Parts: sequence; C-alpha cells; structure tokens
Amino acid sequence: MKALINYGSLLLLAMGAVACIDPEDQPSRVHDFRVLGVSTERPELMASTCERTPEALDALAAEVTYRALLVDPSGGGRSIQYTLWACADPEDRTCANEADRALLAEGTTGEGELTLAIHPGAARVGEDRLLLERVQEADPYKGLGGIRMPLVLRAVAGDEEVYAQKLMVFWCPVVEGMKANEQPVIPGLRVDDAPWLDGEPLELSGPGPFVVTSDDVSALEETYVVPGLRLQAVTLKEAWEISWHTTLGEFSPQETGGADFGGQQGRHRTEWEPAEGATAQDVTFWAVVRDGRGGSSWLVRRARWSP
Amino acid sequence: MSPNLKARSALAAASLLLATPALAQAPQTGAPPAQAAPPSQAEGTPPAQAQPVMTKPPELVQPVEAQYPPDALAQGLTASVRLIITIAADGTVADVLPTEPVGHGFDEAALAAVRQFRFSPAEVDGVPAPVQVEYVYHFTLNAPPEEAPGQEQVQAAPKATLTGQLISRGSRSRVAGATVRCGDDPEAPEATSDADGRFTLEVPPGECAVRVVAQGFQLYQTKEQLKENETTEVNFFLAPAAGALETVVRSERPKKEVVRRTITRQEAQRTPGTFGDPIRVIQALPGVARAPFISGELLVRGSNPGQTATMMDGVSIPILFHLLGGPSVVNAEFIDQLDFYPGGYGSQYGRAVGGIVEVGTRKGAADTFHGSVKVDVLDAGFFLEAPITDGISVAAAARRSYIDTLLPVFLPKSEGSTLSVVPRYWDYQLRVDFGAKRGANADVEAGGARSTGYVMAFGSDDQLRVVSSGPKTERDLSVDTQTLFHRIKGDWTYRKGNLTSVFTPYVGYDANSFKFGAAKQDGVGYTLGAREVLGLELSSALTVRTGMDLMYEHQSFDVEFPAPENFEYVAFPGAESVGELLVEKIGLGAFDGALFVEADLKVGKFTFTPGVRGNLQSAGDTQNLALDPRLWVRFAATERTTLKGSLGLYSQPPETFRFIDLPYGNPDLVYQRAFQSSLGVDHRLTDVLNVDVTGFFNRRFNNIVAPGQIIARTGGGVVQLPYSNEGIGRALGLEVMVKKDRASAKDKWSGWLSYTFSRSLDGRAGPKPDGGGGFGGGFGDDTDATYGLSPFDQTHILTLVSSYVLGNGWELGGRFRYTTGRPTTPLNHTYDLYQVDRNRFNGTYGPYASARTAGFHQLDVRLDKSWQFQRWTLGAYVDVQNLYNAENVEFVFNDYRQRREYEVPGIPILPVVGVKGSF
Repeated sequence: MKALINYGSLLLLAMGAVACIDPEDQPSRVHDFRVLGVSTERPELMASTCERTPEALDALAAEVTYRALLVDPSGGGRSIQYTLWACADPEDRTCANEADRALLAEGTTGEGELTLAIHPGAARVGEDRLLLERVQEADPYKGLGGIRMPLVLRAVAGDEEVYAQKLMVFWCPVVEGMKANEQPVIPGLRVDDAPWLDGEPLELSGPGPFVVTSDDVSALEETYVVPGLRLQAVTLKEAWEISWHTTLGEFSPQETGGADFGGQQGRHRTEWEPAEGATAQDVTFWAVVRDGRGGSSWLVRRARWSP
Repeated sequence: MSPNLKARSALAAASLLLATPALAQAPQTGAPPAQAAPPSQAEGTPPAQAQPVMTKPPELVQPVEAQYPPDALAQGLTASVRLIITIAADGTVADVLPTEPVGHGFDEAALAAVRQFRFSPAEVDGVPAPVQVEYVYHFTLNAPPEEAPGQEQVQAAPKATLTGQLISRGSRSRVAGATVRCGDDPEAPEATSDADGRFTLEVPPGECAVRVVAQGFQLYQTKEQLKENETTEVNFFLAPAAGALETVVRSERPKKEVVRRTITRQEAQRTPGTFGDPIRVIQALPGVARAPFISGELLVRGSNPGQTATMMDGVSIPILFHLLGGPSVVNAEFIDQLDFYPGGYGSQYGRAVGGIVEVGTRKGAADTFHGSVKVDVLDAGFFLEAPITDGISVAAAARRSYIDTLLPVFLPKSEGSTLSVVPRYWDYQLRVDFGAKRGANADVEAGGARSTGYVMAFGSDDQLRVVSSGPKTERDLSVDTQTLFHRIKGDWTYRKGNLTSVFTPYVGYDANSFKFGAAKQDGVGYTLGAREVLGLELSSALTVRTGMDLMYEHQSFDVEFPAPENFEYVAFPGAESVGELLVEKIGLGAFDGALFVEADLKVGKFTFTPGVRGNLQSAGDTQNLALDPRLWVRFAATERTTLKGSLGLYSQPPETFRFIDLPYGNPDLVYQRAFQSSLGVDHRLTDVLNVDVTGFFNRRFNNIVAPGQIIARTGGGVVQLPYSNEGIGRALGLEVMVKKDRASAKDKWSGWLSYTFSRSLDGRAGPKPDGGGGFGGGFGDDTDATYGLSPFDQTHILTLVSSYVLGNGWELGGRFRYTTGRPTTPLNHTYDLYQVDRNRFNGTYGPYASARTAGFHQLDVRLDKSWQFQRWTLGAYVDVQNLYNAENVEFVFNDYRQRREYEVPGIPILPVVGVKGSF
C-alpha cells in the first residue's frame, strides 16, 4: 500500500501541475482534419449460441453499416482517401500486420459522414481462415470480453493522415441475460435551456459562455449483462459519455457524463465560449455519444454567431 | 612586574573542569565529573536508538605544565589557547588540535604540554570509549607576591557566601561545569557549577566582580555586594556563545556500516528548502535521487519509492507524509538525529531492498522543564520535555494542521456549485525514559549491571474530505478518506560487563477508510512485533551480535465497490459502466520474522563483519524463505583514513494486503530481493572536515510490479494478476560526501557537499502484460520494451548545503541543487493514432528513454533569527524555495493528439515563514 500511496502522491502532484498547462490544441476546437467518431450499425453482433454452428457463423457475418464522421473545416472541400481494414490484434493500431488483416473498403470521399456496408465477421485472412478465429486466438481474455475485432480506418487529407481504430464486438450468450447492445442516441440538445433543433441555425450573440446540455439520457442507458472473469454473470449499467466539438472557440468541459469507479456519474452540461476577437460567422457543433461498450452516434448542429 | 609565571588550565567544553584554583602553575589532577559529554557509541549497540550517555567523564590524572614562551614572557603577553583533545579509550591523548591559533608561541607550547597529559578513561554507557573535549590552556602573568599574611590573619578573615544557579539564557537549561569566581585574580577562590547549574562560592565580603566562564557561553560578568557572614543567592543567565547552539558533538560513533550518514536535529530543522522536515533532509545526501516537485520520496541508489524503510527507533513508520506529499509525520522537534544507510547495512536490518532511514528520538531533558511552540502556514505544534523524578524524564510533541480553516478563503465560489475541501492532520510523539539516573555510575550499581529503557508512542491521523456539488458542476463528487495509525514501543537496554541486550517490543494499530461515491473501504490492521539484539564482546578482537526481528500483523477490510473493470469483467475501452455493488469482507494475517547473527573480527588493521539474516514470511497459506548473507570489511589504513567495502543480499517482504485472494491480490508472491555491494574510502582531513567516497553496484530482482500477466484460473476463467514478482533493476554509481562541521561554538560555518554519479535501470523481466504496465515497466508508450532507464535516473546529482552564523541571533543557510534531467521518450509524430472507442489518441514515439528533460537547478535559502530573552527564545524563519525562480521541468506531457510535448514546470519561488518559541 505504501508504494501505491507513494506513486499516488506523485501522480496527484503531476496532475495538479498539468492542470496549470493550457495546450494550444484542444479536442473540442476543430480546426483541421479530424475523425470525430465512428459508429457501426449494429454496434455489436450476437450469435444465438456459443457453439460453432452455421447459424451462429451467419449471424456473426451479418452486414454492418460503418459510419465515420470526417471533418475538415479548413480543407476547402478537398478529397479524402480512405482505406478500411479489419485485423486481429487490438494493439496493432494501424493494422500493420498484413498477415492478419483483411481489407474491407477503400476509396475517396469528402468531408462529412463516410458510410460503408461491410461484413467484418466474414473477413478472412491468410490460408483462408476466419479473421474472427485469429482475433479470438490473440485474445488473452479468451473471449470473455467478446471477440473484439479492430476496424482501422486510414484517412488521408492532404498531408494529414489519421488511423482511427474502432473495436467491433461479436458476442454469444456466455451467461444468462446477455442481449445485443443498442445504439446510444442523444435525444436532443439545449442551449441556455432552449431546445436546439436540427435544421435552421441558431442565432447566438455575445461573448458567452453559452450553456449547452443534452436532454436526459438516463432512461436510455441500458442495464446489461456480461460474463465475468470468474465465469459469473456481471450486471452493468451504461454511463454515456458525450464529446463536444465546435469550429469556433471551445467547450468546457470538452467531454461530459461517464462514471468514475465510485459510480458517480457526470451530468451532460457544458459551456461553449466563442474565441476571443472572433468575427460573426457560421459555427458547426458536433456532439458524439459513446455508451462504453462499442455503441456510438452523433448529432450535428449549426449556429450563426455574432459578437 | 615580577615575571611570576602563571599557567592555568581549564577544560571548558561540556566535559572537564579543574577542581581547584591554580596554586601551582600547572593543570590540576582530579577533575570532577562533567555535566555532559560527547557521546560515543560502543560497538555492538544499535545505532540511532537510545542516545549514548557518558557514565564516567575523563579526569586529568597527569597534567604537564607548559613552558611559557620566552618572547611572550618578555613582552608581558598573555593568551588562552583553545584546544580540541581526542582522548583515547585508554586515557591517553590521541590527538590535539588548536581551534583558533593565537600565535606568539603559545599554541606550540600548549600543544607540547597537552600531548603529555594523561586522563582516566571516559566511559560511555559503562564502556571505556574515546571522547573529545575542548580544553583551554590559559597563559597568565601574576602580579608580584605580596607579603604573606600571618596564620592568625587567615583564620580570622571574614567570609561571605555567593550561591545560586547558572541558567542558559533563552532556554532555561542548567549550565553545569562552569567556573564562578570574583575578579580576574587567578588565586581567587573558584566554584564549579554542578549538574543542576548550582554553585557556592566563599569569598571575602565586599564587592565581587563576578566572572562566570562556561563552555559554549559568553563570558558572564556582573557585580555583587557580599556582606560578611551572609549568603547571597542569585540566578545568573548566561548567553550562549553562538546562536542557539548548545550541544557540541564531536565524537563520532564507530561506523560498522560502509556508509552511514547522520543528520543532527539542528541540520534537520534548518536545512534550507526542506521546510524543516527531517525526512526531506535525507534527499540532500549522496545516493538519493531528487524526487519530483517537493515530494519527499526517497529514491535511493536506483530503488523505487517504497523500497527504502523508514523507522522510528527501530519501528517502521507506516506512512511518511501527511496528505500524501505534505509534512512528514515525524516532528522535527522530537528527533535526536537521523541515520541514513543508503545500502550495505547490518544484518539486524531487513524488510528493505533500498536504503534504511532510522529516526532516533529525543530523550526528555533531565535538568528542568523545557518546551517549544512552532507555528507555520500549514500547522502548529508544541514540544515539551521535563524530568519527572530522578531517573525518569518525559518528552512529548504534537502537531495539528489548520489549513482546513484557511482553505475556504482561497477556494473559488460560484453560484450553482459548491466546493468543499477539508484536509486535516495531526500527529503526536511521546517518550518516557527511565533508569538513567543523573550522575549514576555503572560502578556503583549492583553487580555492575545497568538497565535503562523507555516507552514511546507515536501516531498520526490524516483526513481529507472533498465535496463538489451543484447543477453547474460537471458531476457531484464526494471523496472522504482517513488514515490513522498508532504505535507503542518499549525499549529495554541491559548491560553487564561485556554483554549488551536491547529488547524492543511494539504494538500498532492502523485504520484507514476511503469513500468515493458508492465505493467504500474500511480497513483495520493490528501489528505486534519485537526485536532483540544481543551483543557480546568476547575479546578486544571479537564481538558477536545476534538476535531476532519478529512481526505479526492482521489486516481486515470491509469493502463495497461497484464491480471494478478488469478485476471482475473485461473492460471495454472508453466510458466505464457502473458495475453492480460488490460487498466483501477480507481478513488476512501475516508473519514476518528473521534471525540474524553477525560478528566483528579485528585482525590487525582489518575489521571483518560477516553476517547472515534468515527471513521467513507466512501470509495465509503462503510461506516464503530468504537467506541474506552479508559481509563488511574495514581497513584502517591510517588514523584518519579508512577503506571499506561490503556485499550482501537483502530482502523485502511484499505487504500483507498483496496476499489477499485473486483477483485483488496474489498469494503466490515471494520476497523482493536485492544484491548490494559497495567500496569506498573515508578520510578525515581535519577534525571537522571529512571526505567520503563510495562506489556502489546493486541488482534488484523479484521486485513487485503491477499488473502482472493474464493467466487462466484453475476452475475456469482468466485473471490478470494484480501484482507479480517480475520487477528487476540495476544501479551503479559513485557517491562523494564532503562535510564540514562547526569546530566550536565560535565557528560560524558548516555544511556539506554531496555528489552522486549514477545510472539506474528498472523494469520487468517478463513481457509487457496485456493492458499495459503500471509501475515497474510502465513505459507509457507502445513499444514492447520492459527494461530500460529508470524513470528516476539522474546521472549527476549535486547538492551544496551551507549555513553561516551571522551573529546577533541571525543565521543564513543555503542549498543549491543540480541534477541531470530525468529520462523521457520523445514523441515522433508522423500520423494520428485515434482510438475511437476511448476518444483518445495514442502517440508514436522515438526510442525509449532516448531523451531527457533539461537539467534541474535550484537555490533555496533560509534565514533564521532568534531573540533570546531571560527565560525563553523567540525564533522566526523564512525559507525560500527556488530563490531565483528557475523554471525547471518536472514532467513532459503531450497534447491530446500526441503531436506536441509540453513541459510541466516545477515549484516556482515559494517563501514559507514560521515562528517558534522555546524555553
């Protein structure tokens, strides 16, 4: 315990000091090419049985809609080249190991949402082996966290290159009560307690800060069951996180929600503050929600802001 | 003026005084016992525990009259030559050094005479021991003798009596061994103050020009009108000669260990930049790497935090610092001295693979009631010491923080959110000594046996409560922690003849609680232990020490936690879900015991100390054994130069809580081990200037790292071991210590230079575990490296500490530090690596630890001022960290996309003020 306390004290001191540093580049301030989120529909695939049956394999090989949110505010509409792989090792962030990767899609697109129909569960690698099997072999947890297949999107815009890794989860009912994940969806947003609807840009003026909240999501957060490491059933409840992004100024906090290890959940309330000295302009906002088990979606809102 | 030669001597230091006035011209024999004496520890007694006591002072049995220098005599010059005499254990004069040469041939004449002196051997704790004393040889010229009065006249001469007590101004300490006389006539009657500072002087009535001479005090002069056949009672308050320095310790305990560095209370309290914190002073010694910020971590010879044991009088201190990195739980007022062993320590020490810090506590004053009160920006505390009866004394200290009352003033306040931060701490120390009667002599006790002992208690309590709530906060947050411990120990030292036994039983109680939202943990621990060290001097060439060191502790925990990820289920990257509440009651007992034996064998100029320590740990169903053979060799090349070397194995048991069942503990842990070796030379340049150069090489293995590997469980399922013994490390280096002590109360300058050259490696023997590594191989990048430069590696560590007595109560101190920057792994960004589920970026890096932060340099300054009043002293200090506001880099962190490095600066200029009153 003493050693842990010793390390803890160093960590606390370091965290305190880091809090005093204000890096120029912030996650919520979108000024160049970014991948803000990736979503798969469905967020996970679950076979009806854990036996290796044709039905089970078919269920896991179902089509999945892959969506990536690509933003490039200063790109001037340039083209973005992309390649999407599936591979076996989650630690291989770029799917660099060619022997263990399968090409799912490639092409050119523009800023916005990239949508692809893929079949990762049917992907095969060397010697015509199911990639799913390779993923399972490489998994130190022996599938107790599901079969987590890395989907790596390589997106290149000009001289900017991003590898975005998303884990696609394949399940079977290891313990009683398991069911497939449902996609988290933000029911709505509010600015200074007024609804912020999609479509017409909101008129905002002044230096702010503007309080941005999401409608209550607690009823949408699923209670679910996973297999424990001792092979028992463990019941969990989602605690969604929302990351906030904008083309002008920044949000504080930049990420809301989630839960700490004491189960204390954050509230989805943040403040947007326009950049100092900025002129009137159209501003785009993104709110990307993650449910902590692979599900994700986003909302896009626009506003006309004047000082 | 007739050239009547009068050469008189007086031992001034805390040691010897000539009993009778100098009717003759030479020093006198039969000097009375002294009030206090420089301690010297006999071989075989445990260091830094009970302070050695001089049970028999040396007496001058063979004085030699000095030749008055002819030229000085011709010119009518007089002088007082102040000397430091080293008296060997057999009473002969081993060394003489003048502290302040006076010239005119007086120094040479005094040296020549004193070298021929012979003393009765001094005894420390009943054992003959070498000591040092300060001695003043006075050369005076007498007026021509007047006609001697008749016998009848002498008998009829009227008398007056001056009696009273000598008290140290500002502290109320009794001044023993001082000479009191009327006028400057060397033939005048003289009295010597006893242990209570009392004296009685019989002189002719009339005006007495009182002169009081005492070592460490300024000459005291006053006038008293003394009436015939009457007794005049007075109290004289003597001013200390140099600030508050009262104790002059020049005699060193013989070193068994290759390296033992000792810090006095004065140094512990006044080393700049340490806030008067005794543990942080250790960081200024060789072999200790600089810890980040102002944390007091002890990073000794390449070891990691938690691998250096810190003990108070032999009992382990459970936590070192209040509130993680705050003041240490050891109150500086309560310590007598600190002994620091960076490695190569004796077989009686164990449970550490790094170094050992032994805090020796302070025995209560035997003369009268003393105390002090200290106030600074964080806390306030007091220290009290007093004799209860003859032979029993008590010392007590306590401290309590008040930052919880000040913090609300500084915390931000805003509508819609409330923030409450309540940190509190307190600590206490209590010690009751018995058996050491003042003036007691081993010879007069039955059978020559002597028992002394003490009972000590110490403890501390830390509480931290943080509550943040309100609709405008990011989340409602509640943290509540408490860490409490108590320790009670006894110490019984028995000496008879050549046998010494020190028995130290102790008990302890620990409680800690932690509440964080729905997570709760209440832990209680009980400790029972004992240590016995038996020393037997079989001959002048062979001393054997043996003993045992046993400890049993039982820990229990009541735990309520939302099922933690990676312990109960496989975590998915990103937002952590809220797990079902787990409720567990865990209890575990563990025994750790050791038997040890070692011997000092003197062969010519060599002293060999072979030793072995056998360790047994039993925790639950686990039993571990470790055998630690050790060897030290010392070679006394000359009287001033010693070569020394050591090698051996060292073991540290994993803490008890680590043995709880999987997945929260690992019952298969074994002893952490280390091989330590060193080779060095110690040279005493002068009596107060010492140089020590030591090289070292260490290897650590089986060290605890976290987490361990993921393995299949018996009966199904998998588990990631929370801890494993895969940790390894290696360190080599060279340490240099040059230390200058104060030669006398008048010597204004002291300090030390400490330099360490080192290279330390750290990591783990196995592959990097899935999910990354914590400490011990936690390299924070995506490489597979699990072994490389320690994150705390610093090639050059230079520390200069100095203090200068400016006079008039002012003292100025400074500490300058330079260290090589710590290793970093540089970013090598070529593309973004985005983990979508976690919404975090991974970095791309260059070779592991292939860069370093800029070197660290900092100057800390401390200014003390004391005002001495008749019965008490008021002190104030300002301690300024980082005087020239150097922007040192403590850490490097990367921006969110891992594209750019940002340097985290250390503590800027930080002044701290404090006030202390003592009496």
